[in-house]
Amino acid sequence: MSPPLVYTPLDEIDSVRDDLDATFRSGRVSSIDYRKYLLTQIAYMLRDNTVAIEDALFSDLGKPKFEVHMLEIDLAITEIAIVLKNLSKWAAPEKLAFSLVWSATRRVVYKQGKGVCLIVGPFNYPISVCVRPIVSAIAAGNTVVFKPSESTPAMSALFAEMFPKYIDPGVLRVVNGGVEVMEKLLDMRWAHLVFTGSTRVGRIVSIAAAKTLTPVTMELGGKSPVLIHPSCDMQIAARRILWGKVLNAGQTCIAPDYVLVPKELQAEFVGALKKAHDEFYPDGPLVPGAMGKMVTVEAFKRVAGLLKATQGTIAFGGDADEVAKAIAPTVVVDVPFDDALMSEEIFGPVLPIISVDTLDEGIEFVNKGEHPLAIYVFAKDEQSKKKVISQTQSGAISMNDVVLHAASHELPLSGIGASGSGALYGKYGFDTFTHFRASMDPPNWLDMVLGIRYPPYTERNIKLSSYFCPSIPSRPPP
Amino acid sequence: MNELAFTPLGDIEQIHAELDATFRSGQLQSVPFRKYVLLQIGYMLKDNTQRLSEALYQDLGKPPFEAAMTEIGPVLGEVADTHAHVDKWAKPTKPPFSFLVQPMRRVVYKEGKGVCLIIGPFNYPISMCLNPLISAIAAGNTVVLKPSESTPATSSLFAELFPKYVDPSIIRVVNGGVAETSKLLELTWGHILFTGSGRVGRIVAAAAGKTLTPVTLELGGKSPVFIDPSCDLETAARRIMWGKIVNCGQSCVAPDYVVVPKAFQDQFVQALKAAHDSFFPDGPFAPKAMGKMVNVAAFKRVYALLQATKGTIAFGGQTDETTKSIAPTVVKNVSFEDSELFGPVLPVIPVESLEEGIAYVNKHDHPLALYAFTTDSKFKEKIVKATKSGSVVMNETMLQTGIDGLPFGGIGPSGSGFHNGKYGFDTFTHFRASIDSPSWVDLVMKIRYPPYTAKKEQKTSILFPGLPKRPSGPPSATSNRSLSKWILFVLALIFAGGLAKRRSA
Repeated sequence: MSPPLVYTPLDEIDSVRDDLDATFRSGRVSSIDYRKYLLTQIAYMLRDNTVAIEDALFSDLGKPKFEVHMLEIDLAITEIAIVLKNLSKWAAPEKLAFSLVWSATRRVVYKQGKGVCLIVGPFNYPISVCVRPIVSAIAAGNTVVFKPSESTPAMSALFAEMFPKYIDPGVLRVVNGGVEVMEKLLDMRWAHLVFTGSTRVGRIVSIAAAKTLTPVTMELGGKSPVLIHPSCDMQIAARRILWGKVLNAGQTCIAPDYVLVPKELQAEFVGALKKAHDEFYPDGPLVPGAMGKMVTVEAFKRVAGLLKATQGTIAFGGDADEVAKAIAPTVVVDVPFDDALMSEEIFGPVLPIISVDTLDEGIEFVNKGEHPLAIYVFAKDEQSKKKVISQTQSGAISMNDVVLHAASHELPLSGIGASGSGALYGKYGFDTFTHFRASMDPPNWLDMVLGIRYPPYTERNIKLSSYFCPSIPSRPPP
Repeated sequence: MNELAFTPLGDIEQIHAELDATFRSGQLQSVPFRKYVLLQIGYMLKDNTQRLSEALYQDLGKPPFEAAMTEIGPVLGEVADTHAHVDKWAKPTKPPFSFLVQPMRRVVYKEGKGVCLIIGPFNYPISMCLNPLISAIAAGNTVVLKPSESTPATSSLFAELFPKYVDPSIIRVVNGGVAETSKLLELTWGHILFTGSGRVGRIVAAAAGKTLTPVTLELGGKSPVFIDPSCDLETAARRIMWGKIVNCGQSCVAPDYVVVPKAFQDQFVQALKAAHDSFFPDGPFAPKAMGKMVNVAAFKRVYALLQATKGTIAFGGQTDETTKSIAPTVVKNVSFEDSELFGPVLPVIPVESLEEGIAYVNKHDHPLALYAFTTDSKFKEKIVKATKSGSVVMNETMLQTGIDGLPFGGIGPSGSGFHNGKYGFDTFTHFRASIDSPSWVDLVMKIRYPPYTAKKEQKTSILFPGLPKRPSGPPSATSNRSLSKWILFVLALIFAGGLAKRRSA
């Protein structure tokens, strides 16, 4: 059991922000070389401390070592490598294409940092989901306050210990705490705020940020549905869907939440899921290290409660151990639309299966709810894929696989509606933290043309003003 | 005079539902259709230029020349620019080649967000309402436009004209005051773009936070001008005076106040007077020579600020409450003050050095624009590096908002997000990531599946890239320096080598 997390004293937080603001104003982080150095340091921080990270994540989340590598450390390092490769290009001022009309103005767009940014991290993927936005913020030339989750005390303590050894605390500071610390942080103005967490808390954060005119990026949640079409490869589908569900014991914002399957295929699908399950867990899912755990007892109780209240039938799974906070992967069939399991984002290793008559019925049901962070479609039929894309809205839409789009290089992670706003990762993340500063430097002689703007507004000027009214393509037919 | 008809409160939810239904129908997914709507907006302006111009004159005393140059012209430009580029902008993009994930067929779709709300300001009712609207349509959204109730003639005209050119289930004009705006803000939108004051901006952002609606805020601030004696004085004075008198100083990027080295103040003020006199041979209150304050409250606010100044009025100062007129007024020997003027009064603040001015500006809220008149390239560089503002402009005022390819947006209290051209398009676009994973990929990717054997644990790192060498320390401050330092270093080595040789000889 890890020692209790040391919270940052409330009265220190103002001076923390002042420090980081002073660093920003000093201009130190505007140097591209310096930013590259910082990013490389973060990568080595992760490499050097791999074992400590593995231990912390195992303590906090029972996260298997393999998942720590594949979904946490390696994803963060890949992000750093991509950013390092592109940083000079992304940060260069945008010199606009030659234009007969505008080039004389010497127009240019500078890419500058915004200032001190606040990144509030979730409990489920402390490394990848926290470090990737931190990387973007630093790459774009900002200083950062990083607030990891208090629900992962071992990892958050490790962050507070590791970061200062690799990054000057005047550039990045870890602030730990609970609700009080969050409230204090939200009272302050930030150049940008990235929040990853639940929709409920996302609202609270957005409302608080509005008071200080802090721009926000929200990575929230929702119920990411899976739509199964008869044309899919059933075995592959089942294996991939189950894989997405068991990762981190289902505590993934883009986990496949529930499945909509054609009635006549339900039995075959469940059979394929069982087969995949047995391949994954030859010694059973609850043996140590086989699978993650629920983050807290509250989380365990919440999911166990949903499972208890279901009107569906458990096809397999259902074992649970409150002391170990462990829930076995559980598939529930014949789940009605208004079931307890459909009342909120599950965020646990329970997979409800709802049988529908047609794909259209599935789409209609999905559209009744809030826009999810991801929609998954398993189909080989191109028409069906196109139909789902054009008839639904979601953060991402993935065909024939789950979760991987967040690990696929240079795709944005973006929510829509209740699942969030803004986009992160790769250039999208860089742009999120960048202030695009328009500039021009027109020579005096340009007034030979632009001088027409000056008063007095004579008849002659008014006639010449048609110069300012550009032509547009011809009128469309009625 | 047109009495502005408010949209009935009870209709607002229904309107939102209608526009949402149009969005969900997929009609706006067609790019040719969007282009058609854009042209309709363009012709709405072209066919009704006279009436729009008259409405602007009625609402703001806006001279017809300014209506053409700062309102109708820019919107036609946006229509032309957007129409020409939307096919390209809307195309799905494929991320750069990456060996490991290439089989995943990654693509990013550009989609509309839904029904979007545009809340327009009073100062440029046409351009500041329609430019964002054009971007929203181009990105495939439906739009509710809420123009300002402080410009009743123009807002009425919008309500009359739009339905004649664009189906009201695609674009709807909603007019009203605080109650109607509050009702709109209770609903959930794909995106809200608000132009106006910081005070109201906070209210909009808080309401949007409740519904998790993303916002773009175009706010204001005090846009400073730095005068360096190296500038071309005549041109500088003319451009600054112009920026100040357009729309009677009611521009969010108007030069708000000027910072000038003490010794140069009088010369500069003289040049301003010369520019002023060339602009208004018959005086600034001649008919249609200059705009008016939008309403009596605005007039009174600026009037009061002028009365309270401790500076000296160099010229101007005439006012007329009945016509809401304020003459361009230059006040010198002013010390730094606080609220955005939004009127044709130009405080001139003498300083010992421009450093003092920069320090002052940096202590306060980041402005929407920052201007410097100078030919000194070192000073230009310093301004760009050492200050923060929405835009930073050398030797010009205001024009940056109308230039193709430049984003229009603020930072800190001057706002967040951008519009204009592609920046506007991206603002109203949802970037939807997609992959299409073939089955055969599992020949390699099957490593991801449990059981998590020790053998697997060793294998994952081959999937991920290597890193640059571990740094020995932060880059030195001089690591960016030019060749000359290296040459000096090599010379020093040679010299040292020469010395050592002589020693040992």
